[in-house]
Amino acid sequence: MNKKLIYGLFFLAFALAVGFSAFRKWAVNHATYMTGGVPHPINCAPCHIYPERDGILANILNEDYLSPLNAVCSSDGSALYVIAQDADMLLIVDPAQDKVETQIAVGRRPHSVVVSKDGKSAYVSNQWDNNLYVIDLASNTVSDTILTGAGPAGMGLSVNGQLLYIANTYTNNISVVDLASNTEIKRLYGGNYPTGVAVSPLDNQVFVSSQRTLPVPFRTEPITEVTVLNGKNQRVEERLNFRSAHIMENIAVSPDGDMAITTLIRPKNLVPSAQIERGWMINHGIGIVTKEGKKAQLLLDEPNAFYADPYDVVIHPNGKYAYVSHAGADMISAIDLDVVRNIVSQSSQHELENLANYLGMSDQIVLKRIKTGANPRGLALSPDGKTLYAVEQMTDHITMIDTEKLEVVKTIDLGGPSRTTVTRKGGQLFRNAGHTFHQQYSCYTCHPDGHEDGLTYDLTGSGRDLANVQTLRDLNGTAPFKWNGKNVSVYMQCGMRFSKFVTRTESFSPGDLNSLVAYIMRELTHPPNIHALPGGELTEAQKRGKAIFERTITVDGREIPEKDQCITCHNGPSYSNFQMADVGSLKDTDNPTLFDSPNLNNVYESAPYLHDGSAATLEEIWTVFNPNDTHGYANDMTKDQLNDLVEYLKSLKGAEYTSDQLNYEVNKSQL
Amino acid sequence: MRTDEDRVWVGTNQGLALLENGKWKVYTEADGLAHRSVLALDVSPITGDLWVATMSGLNRFSAGKFTTYTQFNSGLANDVIYSVICDGKDVWVATGGGAGMLDTYTGKWAIYTEQNAPMHEPWTYSICAGGGNIYIAAWGGGVIEWNKAKKEFRDYIDPDGEMEIDLFPDDGVVHDITTAVTYDDDILWVATYFGLSRYDGKRWKGYFDHDSGLASNFINYIKANGEVAWMCTDNGLSSFNGETWITYKNLGTDQSGQVIVNGKSPKENILKASSSLSHNFTIGVDFKDNDIWVATSHGLSHGVVVGQTEVKTSKL
Repeated sequence: MNKKLIYGLFFLAFALAVGFSAFRKWAVNHATYMTGGVPHPINCAPCHIYPERDGILANILNEDYLSPLNAVCSSDGSALYVIAQDADMLLIVDPAQDKVETQIAVGRRPHSVVVSKDGKSAYVSNQWDNNLYVIDLASNTVSDTILTGAGPAGMGLSVNGQLLYIANTYTNNISVVDLASNTEIKRLYGGNYPTGVAVSPLDNQVFVSSQRTLPVPFRTEPITEVTVLNGKNQRVEERLNFRSAHIMENIAVSPDGDMAITTLIRPKNLVPSAQIERGWMINHGIGIVTKEGKKAQLLLDEPNAFYADPYDVVIHPNGKYAYVSHAGADMISAIDLDVVRNIVSQSSQHELENLANYLGMSDQIVLKRIKTGANPRGLALSPDGKTLYAVEQMTDHITMIDTEKLEVVKTIDLGGPSRTTVTRKGGQLFRNAGHTFHQQYSCYTCHPDGHEDGLTYDLTGSGRDLANVQTLRDLNGTAPFKWNGKNVSVYMQCGMRFSKFVTRTESFSPGDLNSLVAYIMRELTHPPNIHALPGGELTEAQKRGKAIFERTITVDGREIPEKDQCITCHNGPSYSNFQMADVGSLKDTDNPTLFDSPNLNNVYESAPYLHDGSAATLEEIWTVFNPNDTHGYANDMTKDQLNDLVEYLKSLKGAEYTSDQLNYEVNKSQL
Repeated sequence: MRTDEDRVWVGTNQGLALLENGKWKVYTEADGLAHRSVLALDVSPITGDLWVATMSGLNRFSAGKFTTYTQFNSGLANDVIYSVICDGKDVWVATGGGAGMLDTYTGKWAIYTEQNAPMHEPWTYSICAGGGNIYIAAWGGGVIEWNKAKKEFRDYIDPDGEMEIDLFPDDGVVHDITTAVTYDDDILWVATYFGLSRYDGKRWKGYFDHDSGLASNFINYIKANGEVAWMCTDNGLSSFNGETWITYKNLGTDQSGQVIVNGKSPKENILKASSSLSHNFTIGVDFKDNDIWVATSHGLSHGVVVGQTEVKTSKL
C-alpha cells in the first residue's frame, strides 16, 4: 500500500480522534453547565429535539393523546360522555362494550360536559374559546354556541333543567345561561379562578368552588372562596372563605342537600418548605359546608403517606359515600359520609378548625383507597351508584370501580396512542407526587395546569428570599430561570438542587429528567390571551399603552434614560432581554441579588407580581412599589395613562398566537 | 342612601349603615369598608351587589363581603368618589379624577377626563343613566352626555358663559358647576348650587328659589321618581312634577314641620305638619313603593306618600 496513503489515513484518524475528543469534552462541559454540575449522559435530544413543537422530528417523536379530563354518565347508565381535553373532542362511550361509540369535535381545550334533563342535549364548556357547545345527541352534531365569560370550566344544571351555571375561570365570574334561549342572562362575581359547580338537589343553592386564593395581605394565609348562589333569584347569597386552603377544583352536594363537599389543598406557604419532613408542606383533603352553616376541612392524607392533588368528588345517590380522585397519587379515596357527618355535627366550629391539620382524620373517614392508572381526574357515578368511573388523564383510560366491593372491575381503553412518548412520560411524572417526600406534592400541585398557584413560598427555609411561584407555560427560549436567574436551564431547576432542598428525595433519574423537561418545554402553553385581538390588532387603549411602553421621553418632553425605558428590559418575542436588573424591589428579607427580567406574555394571568408576590395587581407595581422610578420611569403618568399601559401589558402574547382567529368575535365584543 | 328591597343602606361619615327589620348594623373599615366616609351607594339590579363610593376607594359589597378597588390596585380613576351607579353590567363612578366605568363582565376600566371628554376639568360630581345615555355632572363643565350606542360624548353647558348669574333664562343648564343629575320619564334634571334645570330632550327650563317653589338654589342632590323630581337642598326637600312644587321643611323648634305647596307663587299654600325632616340640610333621597327616605346632615328621615302631593314624615 502506498505509504502516503497510509500516513494520510493515519493522520485523518488522528484528527478525527482529536476532534471527537475535543467535541466530547465540550459536550460534557456544556451538559454539565446546563444541568448544574450533575453527572448526566450526553444526549442532545432532550434539549434540542424533544421540546420542538413542530416539524418532522417533532411529529415522529410525539403522539396526539386524548387526555380525558371529565365525564358524566347518561341518566340510564348506558353511555359515558367523556371530555378528551387534548384532542378537543367529546367521546360517547358504551361502558358495557368498552367501546367509544362516537367522537364529536368540540372547541379548544374543552373542560366539562353536562347532559340536559331530557337527555337530548349535551353542553360542553370550551375553556379556550370562551363558549359552550350545545350538542344534539340525536345527530351527534353541534347545534348551537353560547357565549360565556372567559375560560368556562365546571357547569351545573338547575333542578328544573332550565338554567345552566358556568364557572368562568379566567374572568373570575359565574355565567347564568337560560337554556330555552341558549343565552347568558347574567354574570356574577365568583371567587378567584372558579372551576367547580354543584347545584343543590333542593335547587335553592348553587355552590361554586375556586382554584386560587382571594387577594390577601402580603405573607398571610391564603383564603379561597366557595361562592353560594341563591337558586331562586340567581344572586350570590354567601361567600364562604376557606382559610389556609386553595385549589378547590370541584364540588358536590349530597342528595338531600345536607352538605356540600369540595376538594382542596392546604399549602403551608408561610412556613419553610423544609418542613416537608414533618408533613407540613402541603396537605390534601376535602372542605365541607353543612346546611347549618358549619365549615370544616378534613385531610385525606396519612402521617406517612400523602394523597396529592385531589381533583374531583362525587357522592353516592344514597348519600352515605363520597369518592375523591387523587390525581397526583393515582388513587381514589372512598369516604364514609356518616362518619364525616358525625364528626362535623359533634364538633364545635373551633374544634373543626383545629381538626383541619389532623393527619389521623383519614383513618376515621376513609373506607378504602383504590389504585388507578396515571392521573385520575374526573369521576362519574352510574345513576344507581353501583359503578364509579374514574377518568385517567395520562393513560387515555377509564377505570371502572364496583362501589359495593370498592374494587376495580375493569379498565376501558378510549383508543389513545399505545406508545408512551418521552413527553407523555414527562407529563405523567409532572403530575405524580411519587418523587417527593411521602408523596406530598407533585410539580402540578404548585403549577396547576402548568401555570402557578399564586402563592409565595419560603423555599430556602430561612425566612429569606421568598419566591413567588412562576408560570411554566411557554418557557422554551426564555432562560435563565428562577427569579434570580441562577438556573440556566429547566434541567438545573428540576434537577438535584430542587430534590435536595425542596422535595427531600433522590433526584430524578437522567431519563426521567429528560422526559420531565421535554414535557415542560413542549407541552405547557398559555391559553389564548383574553385581552388580545388576533393579528396583532390593538384596541385604542392598548395603542396608547403601547406608545407609553415604547416611549423614550417623559410626558413633559425630557429624555428617559435607556435603563428606565420599558422596552430596554422588556423586548423581543417574550418581552424580556433575559438580563439581570435591579428595579428597586429588593426587600429587607432578600439577600442582595439582581432579578431576571420576567417574560410578559400573558402576564395578566400571573397575579400577584414581583419576585415575592408583594404587588397584588399590575397597577401596584407602579403605584406602590416604584416610588423612585427604579422600575421604569412611570411617576409622570396620569392615571388614565397608567391604565392604558396596563391594558397594553395585558394584551402581550407570544408571536405564535398572533394569527389566532378563533377568539376574534368574542374578544372584540368584550374589549 | 339607597333602598334595596326591604333594606335601607345609608352612607355616613362614620361608616355604612344598614337598616333591616328595624335594626341597624354599621360596617366600618374593620369590616373591609374602604373608608368610613361613604359618599354614595347603588345596588346592581342584576347581581344585587351593593356598590359603595367612599372618600378612599370603591367597595363592592356582596353577600356580606367587601372587595376594594382603589386608584392604586385597579383602574379606578381616583379614590375620592362622589357618585356611583349601576347601569346594566357596567358600574360608573364620578370621582375627583374623572369619571370611570368598570365593565363587571370583563373587569376592564375606562377613564374619562378633560383629556378625552368635553370636560372643563376632571372633577366630576354625579352620574346617572337614562335614555340610552350616561349623564355626568362635571365641575365647571355642565353636563356631559355619553351616548352608549354611538360611544360619543357631547356636553351641555350654560351658553351665556356667565358664572355669576343665569343671564339668558332657559338657554341651557343654569350653571356650569353642576352637582347632581338624574333621569326618568324622558326628563333630565340637573342640580347646581345656583338653581335647577330640566331638559326634555328639546328645551331647557331653569328654576330658582326666587321664582319657583324650589326650597333653595343650593342643591346637594336630586333624584327623579317617575315624573317627579326630588331636590335635596340646604334648606329643605323640594319636589316638582313640572307643574306643582312641594317643599318639606323642619321648623327647627320641635318635631313639627312645614309643607309648602307652590311657594313663591300666587297659589302658595303653607301647611303645618306634625312631623318633618330631621334637618333641612338634605343630602340624599330614595324611594321604595310608597316609602321615601331622606338623608340629612342630622340623621335619616322616613316618609310615607299618602296622596299624590302629600307626604307623612317621621324622624329616625
